Amino acid sequence: MGENFVIKLDNVSKKFKRGHRLLLKEALLDLFRAPRQEDFWALKSVSFKIKKGESIGIIGSNGSGKSTILKLIAGVLTPTHGTIKVQGKIGPLIELGAGFHPELTGRENIYLNGTILGLSIKEIDAKFDEIVNFSELSDFIDTPVKHYSSGMYMRLGFAIAVHVEPDILLVDEILSVGDIGFQKKCLDKMKEFHKNGVTVIVISHSPDLIKSFCKKVFLINQGKIIGVGLTENIIKKYNKLIN
Amino acid sequence: MIIQKNKIFKYKDLFWQLTLRDIKAKYKQSYLGYSWVILVPLINLTVLSIVFTFVFKVPTGPVPYPVYLFTALVPWLFMSNAIVAATGSVLANSSLVTKIYLPREILPLSAIASKLVDLFLTAVILGLFMILFRVPFHTSILFVPIILFIQVMLITGISFILSASNVFYRDIEHAIGVILGVWMYLTPVVYSPDLIPPDLKIFFYLNPMSGIIDAYRATILYGVIPLWPAFLYSFLFSLIIFIVGYFYFRANAKYFAEVI
Repeated sequence: MGENFVIKLDNVSKKFKRGHRLLLKEALLDLFRAPRQEDFWALKSVSFKIKKGESIGIIGSNGSGKSTILKLIAGVLTPTHGTIKVQGKIGPLIELGAGFHPELTGRENIYLNGTILGLSIKEIDAKFDEIVNFSELSDFIDTPVKHYSSGMYMRLGFAIAVHVEPDILLVDEILSVGDIGFQKKCLDKMKEFHKNGVTVIVISHSPDLIKSFCKKVFLINQGKIIGVGLTENIIKKYNKLIN
Repeated sequence: MIIQKNKIFKYKDLFWQLTLRDIKAKYKQSYLGYSWVILVPLINLTVLSIVFTFVFKVPTGPVPYPVYLFTALVPWLFMSNAIVAATGSVLANSSLVTKIYLPREILPLSAIASKLVDLFLTAVILGLFMILFRVPFHTSILFVPIILFIQVMLITGISFILSASNVFYRDIEHAIGVILGVWMYLTPVVYSPDLIPPDLKIFFYLNPMSGIIDAYRATILYGVIPLWPAFLYSFLFSLIIFIVGYFYFRANAKYFAEVI
């Protein structure tokens, strides 16, 4: 390819249909109704490129389309129009512990969640002790996770996610949970990733995390990118927008 | 997505972890644990054996009725359990589907695989029954893996269609139990196909499971390899359902995260 862009969005639009027909009855009724204008464009012709090793923030109010961008990059959603190119392994810090099974122990969930995030069993074997140490849960590792507190749950989820060794780290508003000590640990780990050349994308509606971490920020509003630039400037613009 | 093709092997470990999760988690917190896998078929067998030995007599040749029944009941319950588990599999894993990229096919496939493990356990019980009732083993039993392969193809195809449709129309999850119940009585599981009037036989064998159940009995109990038209029809039917199901699932999978 010769380009050093790890993420490239080209004219990406995403349409959602409001009010899905989840029951057969409604679907049948719909056949007799006039088509309703219920399309909702979460993203409208969004284009951007992200270089390897950049730390990018995406800021915008609720419903602006931030999470849709993240899900498109993660490959969970497919764009309605446009193309997305992603090079490298994605480490989603979107929802920690997605796929944990409450009845299984911490140990079993490390293997389950690790493979979900793209590790092989061999790789998990090799990193197992490190993951447990990082989570500080070695005393509870053979307890079913349904007995964990929400903080413990997050810690285990985060510990697994950061040991995936991603090329691109996607961070949603996850650091709002957990105590200050754990938040600091997460932030340190993200900085370490950044130092090692990992591309980090942080999504937030609060400027604090983005300020402390990102050099460049995209401001998004109603599905469109309305500003790109240095963190300071964009956050000023964002504050003006929401007031 | 660029990440999709040629990565089947990459997801091998994930496939086993999901299968293992289904097996481990299902019977946690139950006193009898995994032995339920064997208890349920045995209870079914006992009830049906009593009804069809003493109330309705079924001609089974030299084979005792309980063994005749169990030979069909084991693969039938496998299919029924696998389809039910796979149909709900995409919705049951909604937290994965909406958060993380993984090939969605892996969800119904691992649900089926976990029931395949149950099948092997109940098959051992069938073997013990054959010894107990002194039913001779034939070399034709070596043909069983081929029948199983065809049956798994049928199950997978149906599961692809139902699990994808269930995301959009959740009625399917509720209807599937009833449909499987009716289907069982349209298939020669508890009775023998000899009881079907000759004029109706052609319709009877439109059901692909008729040919498959017949084939299991022929190879396991009577030492006959079932290369007759009904079985070949079942094979072709299963193959087509598998292919159609796979493409149907793929076409719909990209909308899962939006609808769930």
